[in-house]
Amino acid sequence: MNDFLTYLPDFAHALWTTLYISLAAAAMGAVVGFGLNTLRLWLPLCAWPCRVYVWLIRGTPFLAQLFVFYFGLPVLGVTLDAVTATVLALTLYSGAYFAELFRSAWNSVPKGQLEAARVHGIGGAQIFWHIQAPQALAFCLPLLGNQVILTIKESAVASIITVPELTQTAGQIVSNTYSYVVPYTLLVLSYWLLTQAVGLGAAWLAQRATRYQKG
Amino acid sequence: MMATFYDRLGLYAPALWQGAQVTLVLCLLAMALGFVIAVLLDGLGRSSSRGWVWCSRVYVSFFRGTPLLAQLLLCFYLPSALGVDVPGSVAAVMVLALNTAAYQAQILRSGFDAIAPGQLEAAAVFGLSRRQTLLQIQLPQVLRLTLPALVSEFIDVIKVSAVISVVAVTDLMRVGQQLVAQTYRPLEVYLVAALFYLALTSILALIGRILEKRWQERHG
Repeated sequence: MNDFLTYLPDFAHALWTTLYISLAAAAMGAVVGFGLNTLRLWLPLCAWPCRVYVWLIRGTPFLAQLFVFYFGLPVLGVTLDAVTATVLALTLYSGAYFAELFRSAWNSVPKGQLEAARVHGIGGAQIFWHIQAPQALAFCLPLLGNQVILTIKESAVASIITVPELTQTAGQIVSNTYSYVVPYTLLVLSYWLLTQAVGLGAAWLAQRATRYQKG
Repeated sequence: MMATFYDRLGLYAPALWQGAQVTLVLCLLAMALGFVIAVLLDGLGRSSSRGWVWCSRVYVSFFRGTPLLAQLLLCFYLPSALGVDVPGSVAAVMVLALNTAAYQAQILRSGFDAIAPGQLEAAAVFGLSRRQTLLQIQLPQVLRLTLPALVSEFIDVIKVSAVISVVAVTDLMRVGQQLVAQTYRPLEVYLVAALFYLALTSILALIGRILEKRWQERHG
């Protein structure tokens, strides 16, 4: 136990690494997902390449994708360090899930409302900003937290390619101290607290952002 | 130097197919075991004692809120710290089952909720025991109602199962790593391995869609 205390700063640092890797990837993944969905709406030609992308990413394990980026790309002359490969792979991974989320959010706005708005002579930009965007946002806000949690959980896989995040650091402490119980128990508890906090934060945010709906 | 990509594919495919079978069998076992745990969890969640309800909630929140890899490390090394040696494949199935149980419990809950309470009253009137009611009246209906959702959970289990390769189980991912060590061709080996996963998950997704359609045609 005393042994372990000396490693606590490493552990705290690793927690920070996990947090910034997953938050950076989730934020960029949201941009990718939004971009894919916008592309799909504006250019119907892009609809099926977007679908193939989502199918490829969602149909394969994140670990396999990470290995392709980290071990495979150097074959083509592109060598990425472990952290960059992780953030890149995790961004593309969460991007596919975000694209699906935004797609269902967009489709959740009833078509009848658009027709009604057009009949009343409301312009395209106004329809977007005042009718579609707020409702789509209200649909996806409560689900955004789940996406971030998903990304945090997948980031643990990066320990396999030696990114010094939580799981890798816990493993390191285990091999230095020869005690499994404390580091691994602390590991799962840290993830649990992290995801619970993100879940609560997202729920609070969603509630605040959709206050107007409850009147 | 091995001649063409197609020649090399002849080397990869049988090995990866072996690995895919291991992945499928372990995941199927985990799904079945997870289903039993999920039914128990649902029962706990409906208990009149607040303590049991709380236990089932904490269980679900814990297994959904932490990475499978961290759960696996804890369950693989914890017994060995107590002097019990657990083989990698056993630890893998256990952890996958405990993990999927949390997700299946949520799926099953909606299934159990969908059964009209009158049926349970009728079963009680006819003198069926609690166990008979569960096995002969509730579970067959719940299974039919939730089958499409369970298939998509099975797909998720196959995807997350890739990390069990770290505890030396020769699943699909592990076979991929072994092939890379033999051939030094990481790009094509991992891409082909990913295609194997894609084939597994796509076929299952197709089955799920067919089941759902059939269900809607009959009852929609």
